[in-house]
Amino acid sequence: MPELIVTKDIDAPGLDTLEGYRQHGGYEALAKALQSQPDDLVEMIKKSGLRGRGGAGFPTGMKWSFLAKNDKTRYLCCNADESEPGTFKDRMLMEKNPHQLVEGVIITSYACRVSVAFIYVRGELALAGDQVERAVAEAYAAGYIGKNILGSGYNLDVIVHRGAGAYICGEESALMESLEGRRGYPRLKPPFPAAIGLYGGPTVINNAETLSTIPAIVKNGADWYASFGTEKSKGTRVFCLSGHVKKPGNYELPLGTPLRTLIYDEQYGGGILDDKQLKAIIPGGSSTFILGADKIDTPLDFEAIAAAGSMLGSGGVIVMNEDTCIVDAVLRMTEFYRDESCGKCTPCREGTYWLTEILHRIEHGDGRERDIDLLLDICDNISGKSFCPLGDAATSSITSSIKLFREEYEHHITHNRCMVGSRQFDVKPEVEAHSLQVGAR
Amino acid sequence: MAEEKQDELVHLTIDDIPVAVPPGTLVWAAAKQAGIEIPIYCYHPKMPPLGACRMCFVEIEKMPKPPQTACTTPVSEGMIVHTRTDKVQKARRGTLEFLLINHPLDCPICDKGGECDLQDFTLRYGPGGTRFDLYKRHYPKPVPVSDRVMLDRERCILCQRCTRFSSEISMDNGLVMISRGYKMEVGTAPDHAFDSIFSGNTVEMCPVGALTASAYRFKARPWELKHTPSVCNNCSVGCNVRIDVRVDKVMRLMSRTNDDIDDGWLCDRGRWGFEFVNSPQRLRTPLVRRGGKLEPASWDEAFFFIASRLQGIIKNYGAKAVAGIGSTRTTNEEAYLFQKLLRQVIGTPHVDHHHGHFPGPRDLLTGKPWMMTNSIAEIEKASHIVLVASDPYQRQPILNLRIKKAMKGGARIYIVNEGETELDRFAASKITVPQHGAGMAAKMLLKYILNNEIDNPHQHEDLRARLQSEDADIQAAEKSFGPETSTRLQHLAHEIAQAKGAIILYDEMATLAPGCQGLAADLQTVAVITGNIDRPGAGVGPLLEDANSLGARDMGLLPDALPGYQPTSEPGLPYNEILSSPNIKALYVIGANPMRHVGQFPPDLELLIVQDILLTETAQQADVVLPAVTFAEKDGSMTNVDHHVQAVWHALRPLPGAKADWEILTTLANHLGHKWNYSSPQEILLEIASTNPFYAGLTWEDLRPHGVRTSEQEVAHVS
Amino acid sequence: MISEQAKQRMRDLASRYPVARSAVMPALYIAQQEEGYITQEALQAIAEAIGMTVDDVESVATFYTMYYQQPPGKKVIKVCTSISCYLRGCDKLVEHLEQRLGIKRSETTPDGNYTLMTTECLASCGTAPVLQVNNQFVEKVTLEMADTLVDEWDHELKTKLDLSC
Repeated sequence: MPELIVTKDIDAPGLDTLEGYRQHGGYEALAKALQSQPDDLVEMIKKSGLRGRGGAGFPTGMKWSFLAKNDKTRYLCCNADESEPGTFKDRMLMEKNPHQLVEGVIITSYACRVSVAFIYVRGELALAGDQVERAVAEAYAAGYIGKNILGSGYNLDVIVHRGAGAYICGEESALMESLEGRRGYPRLKPPFPAAIGLYGGPTVINNAETLSTIPAIVKNGADWYASFGTEKSKGTRVFCLSGHVKKPGNYELPLGTPLRTLIYDEQYGGGILDDKQLKAIIPGGSSTFILGADKIDTPLDFEAIAAAGSMLGSGGVIVMNEDTCIVDAVLRMTEFYRDESCGKCTPCREGTYWLTEILHRIEHGDGRERDIDLLLDICDNISGKSFCPLGDAATSSITSSIKLFREEYEHHITHNRCMVGSRQFDVKPEVEAHSLQVGAR
Repeated sequence: MAEEKQDELVHLTIDDIPVAVPPGTLVWAAAKQAGIEIPIYCYHPKMPPLGACRMCFVEIEKMPKPPQTACTTPVSEGMIVHTRTDKVQKARRGTLEFLLINHPLDCPICDKGGECDLQDFTLRYGPGGTRFDLYKRHYPKPVPVSDRVMLDRERCILCQRCTRFSSEISMDNGLVMISRGYKMEVGTAPDHAFDSIFSGNTVEMCPVGALTASAYRFKARPWELKHTPSVCNNCSVGCNVRIDVRVDKVMRLMSRTNDDIDDGWLCDRGRWGFEFVNSPQRLRTPLVRRGGKLEPASWDEAFFFIASRLQGIIKNYGAKAVAGIGSTRTTNEEAYLFQKLLRQVIGTPHVDHHHGHFPGPRDLLTGKPWMMTNSIAEIEKASHIVLVASDPYQRQPILNLRIKKAMKGGARIYIVNEGETELDRFAASKITVPQHGAGMAAKMLLKYILNNEIDNPHQHEDLRARLQSEDADIQAAEKSFGPETSTRLQHLAHEIAQAKGAIILYDEMATLAPGCQGLAADLQTVAVITGNIDRPGAGVGPLLEDANSLGARDMGLLPDALPGYQPTSEPGLPYNEILSSPNIKALYVIGANPMRHVGQFPPDLELLIVQDILLTETAQQADVVLPAVTFAEKDGSMTNVDHHVQAVWHALRPLPGAKADWEILTTLANHLGHKWNYSSPQEILLEIASTNPFYAGLTWEDLRPHGVRTSEQEVAHVS
Repeated sequence: MISEQAKQRMRDLASRYPVARSAVMPALYIAQQEEGYITQEALQAIAEAIGMTVDDVESVATFYTMYYQQPPGKKVIKVCTSISCYLRGCDKLVEHLEQRLGIKRSETTPDGNYTLMTTECLASCGTAPVLQVNNQFVEKVTLEMADTLVDEWDHELKTKLDLSC
C-alpha cells in the first residue's frame, strides 16, 4: 500500500473533530507555517510540484505567486463546489476530515497574505457543509482563525458559503460571481482572478483537495511530497472510481499509477463488475474525452492521459463495461451539460439543447442518417466557440464516442434499436409524443 | 502634442487595412473605424464587453484557439486581424444557426422587421437554411413587462443588452434574466412590472423584436418612416432624437446619440411624450372672442383684431400697458422675435417668462449669467456631485444616468433635499432638511466653509459680514434642523472644500420656495470660494426646467436684460408683477400657461392674446388665440441646460391652419406697421449671431449634425 | 410569513460579507427554511434586507436549482441520474419510486407528502445509485431499500399527522 497523504487516517474515529484531528497531528503544520515567511511558503509549494486538483492541473505555488501586488484586499476562495459527474473526493474530505481543509485554508491565506477566506461548498453537500462550518467554528474558538492567530499577529476571517445547485459555479470566475451574490455566469478573462478577482481584489482560488494537501506538504517538506508521483505530475491524488467496477470508491494513489492498477487491482477497483469486458473509460470526470479499453495501461498522470487523448481532469474515473449503450450514456452526460449550461453564451445554451434532442431521437429509434455528422458539426460549432470550457466539455463525450463507437450510433439509426443486446428500449410515453411531433417514421 | 498622441496609437491591420487606434480599443471598434462591419448582438458600445452572443468572431494571427471574439479583445501593436476567413465564417454561421433554432421567424408581423439585426446578419453571415428539424420552443406572446413595454420571449436571443442596461446604466435592476440555460428568459419578479423611467432604451437596444413599445406596436413598417434629426422638447437636457414620421404623424422618437449630452439614452417621458404633436385637440384655426365665446376666425381677422386692439390700448394707456410672457419651449429665434416685438415694435419693457429666482441677470461674484458652469459631460470628471433641492431623476432624467456613470467612475454623491429621491440609495450622504430648508442649508454650508475650511479669517470679509448679519436666522435653522443634520452639513462643507472637483447642482424652481431666494447666489458663492468653478470636474449651476429655458434667458425674455444679458436702462416688470399689476391692460402670452402656474391675470386686463398649440387654461381665457406648431413641425435652435445650441428640424408638415411662432410674430409685426421680412428661422439666427455674444458667428450649418456648446465671446462686456 | 428573526439574520449576513449582496444566497436559504419555497414575500423581505430589487433577487433565485419555485412535499426525494448512477441502475430506481409514490418525476403527491425529483451528480458516485431525502444522503440504494425507506417515511409522516391531531 503506497503512502497516503490527503486521505491519511481518513477513517480514524473522531478525525472530524478538533480533538481527533489534533491527535493525528492536526494544526502542527499551521504552527510551523506561521513561523515561516509567507513568501517562503509559496516557494515551498512551488518546489513541491503540487498541481491543482480541481481539473486544470495548474501548478499551485505558481498560482499563488501571480497574485497582483497592490493595496487592495486579497481573498482566498476554496472551491469546494464539487459537481463534476464521476467525482466525489472533496465531499469525502470535507465530511471526514474538515479540519485538514480548514488548516489548508489558513496556511494558504497566510502564505498569500489574505485576510478574508471563503469556502464555497456545493449546496447539495449538506453534511459536508455542516462539517466544514463546524470545523471553522471550532478553529475560531481554538484561536486558529480570527485575530492574532497563535500569537503570530496574523488575522484571518473565514466564511463558509453554500452554493445552491449550479455546476457552473465550479468554474472559478462563476464561483466569484456567485459569491458576490449574482447569477453564476463565468467572467471574461483577462483579467484573471489573481489580478482582479473577488470584490475586485487579487484572489487565489484553489480546489478543496489541493488545499487539504497543503498541511502535509508544510509538515513534511516539499522534497518529501515531490518524491511521490512522476517527474511532471508530482504527489498523490485521490482517484474517484465509479461505474462498472467491483469496488467503486476513492483511492489515493501516486500520480502515474496505471489505469489498470486502479481498475483491476484487488486493493482498488477489483476488476469489472460481474467480470464483464471493459468497454470504455472516462478518466477525469464526464467533461473529459472517453478512452477505449485499449488505453487500460495508461499511467494516471497529466501528461500520459493527455497523450492518450483525454485529460486527467477532476480525477473521476468512470468505467463502462460491454453492456453499456454508448449512445444512451452519452445522452445522459449531454443532458447534464444542457441542464447545467448557465445560458450566457449562445453556442453552449442552444447547442447543448440541440445535441440532446438529436441524441435523444437516435437513442430512441428515430435517428436520421445525417444525424451523426450533424452532431459532430454542432460540436464543432460549440467547441472553442463558447464563452467558457463548459461548452467544450459538453462535446467531449460525443466526439470521442463517435470516434470510438461510430458503428453503435449507426446501428441505432439503421436498426432503430441498440446494438448492445443487454439493454432493451424502454420507450417512454413522452418519447412517443416527441416522435410524433417530428414526424415518426 | 498632436504628434505625441500619434505615438500613443496602436497600429494593426484588419483585412489588410492598416488602422491606428488608442490603446485599449477593442478590435470591434478598430474594425468599425476601418469601415469593416463585425456583427454584434450582446456588445453595446456604452457597456462593458460581455462576450456572450458569440457573433463577433474574427481570426487573429498568433493567438491561440481561433476564432476570437472582437468585442472582448483589445488591440495590440502589430496585430493582424482577419474577419472573413473560413473559420470565422463558419463560426458566425454556427452562432446564427443556434440563434435561429428556436426563433419563430414571424418577421412579417414583427415590428422589428426591416431594422432587425437578426434578419440583417442572417442575410449577410448566416446559413442559407437550417438543419434544425425539431419543434421550436413556444411561449405565450407577447407578455407585457410594463404598460409600455411588451416582451416576446420566442424572438429573444438572450443577448442581455436590456438586462445589462437595467443593471449597469439605469442601475434600477428592473429587467433581469430569469432561470438559466436553455430555459433562460428575460423577465421580472412574478407580477412585478418593469418599473423604470428609462425602459424605452431597452426597446431601442433590443437587436431583435423581443422588446417592443406598446406605443409603436403595429403602427408602421420601418421602411415607411421618414427620419428627421431633432432634439427632445421635454426637459432642459436636450437629448438628441430622431423623429420617425409616417404620413405626417409622429410614430416614435429614437435616440440620436450625442455623447456630450445624452450619451445615447432617452427617458421614457421624452421618448413617448409626443402625443401632443399628434393630438386631435390641436388648435387648427385662430379663435377670436365674440359675444363672450371663442369662435373660429381667419388669420387675417385675428391679426386685424390684435393690431387694432393693441393700437387702441397703446393709444389710451401708452405702450407700457402692454406686457409679454414668453415661452421656455419655443425656439431661440421665436423667443428673440417675441421680445423684439414687445420692445421694439410695441415699445414696452415688460417681458418675462416663468423661471426660477435669480438675483439679476448675472451672478455678481463672477459676472456670468446664471447657468451651469460645467458641461454635462464634465459631471463624469467630478469627484463630488452635490444635489441640492434637485431631483434629476424626476426632472432631468438623463442627467440621472450621467450622475450614475460618474458614480461608477468613483464620484461620490451628496444629496440635500427635503424629500426622498431615487439617487438616495447611492448617496455617500443624504441630508434631509425640513420643507423649504434648502435655502438655509446653503447658508449653513457657506458659514461652515468660511468658519472651518478657510484658514485666513480676513479672506472674504464682505461675505463674512453679510453672513454675520444673517447669523441669527442661520442659528435658528441649525436648531430646527437638529445637530445631526448640522454635523452632516459641516461634513459636506469639508468635502466640498477638499474635493478634487465638486459639481453643485440645484433645481431652478427650488429657488422659488419661501426662504430659498438666496439659494442660487449662496451655492454659487460656495463653489467660488472653494475653487469649484472653471476647472475640470468642478462647477455649479441651476438645473433648468424646459427645453429652451436657457435660450429664453439668452434671448432676453427677462425684464432686466436685453438679448445676451446686455443691460437695459429701463427694466420691466417681472413675471409675477406683470400678472398682478393693474397697469397692464394687454397681455401677450406665447407658449406659456400662467393660469396654471399663478392662477391670475392682471386685474384690469382688457386684451389677452395667447399663442399656443392647445387650448390651455390660459388660452381658454383669451380674447384671441393663435394656433402655433410644435417643435416637430418647424426649424429653429434651442439652448439646453449646459448651453449647447442645437437645431430642431421640421419632421412633418405643419398642422393645417397653424403656423410657426416666428411666422406669426413676423406677420404681426408687419400688421403693427414694422417691416419685418424674415423668411426663415435660419435668417433670424444670423441676426442673433451678429448681436448676441453667446451666439456670435453661429450659423445654421454649425448646428448639424449635433449642436455646439457656446460661451460668451469677448465682445460681450465691451458692448 | 418571514419572521422578524429571519429578517434580522439576513441583515446580519449582509453586514458579515464585504458586500451586502453576497448575502443573497444564504438569505434565500433562510427564506426557504421559513416558507418551504421562495415566495413573493420572501423576495420582498430579502430585497429589503440586502438592498436589492425584487427582480434582482428573483433573477438569482431562479438561477440556482436548490431554491424551490413551487411548494415542495414534506419529503423531497432527489435521485441522482448522472452518468455514474446511470451505470448503476438509477433509472430503475426512479421508475420504481414513480410507481410506488404514484407520481412522475418533478411531481408532488396530492397529499403534499412527497416530491420526487431527479438531480445531477451528487458526488456519491462510489456508492451509486444514490438519493437524497431532504438533503440527507441514502447510498447504494436497491429497489428493496427504496420500498423500506418509503414505508418508514409513510410511518413517520403518519405519526406526525396523528400527533398534530
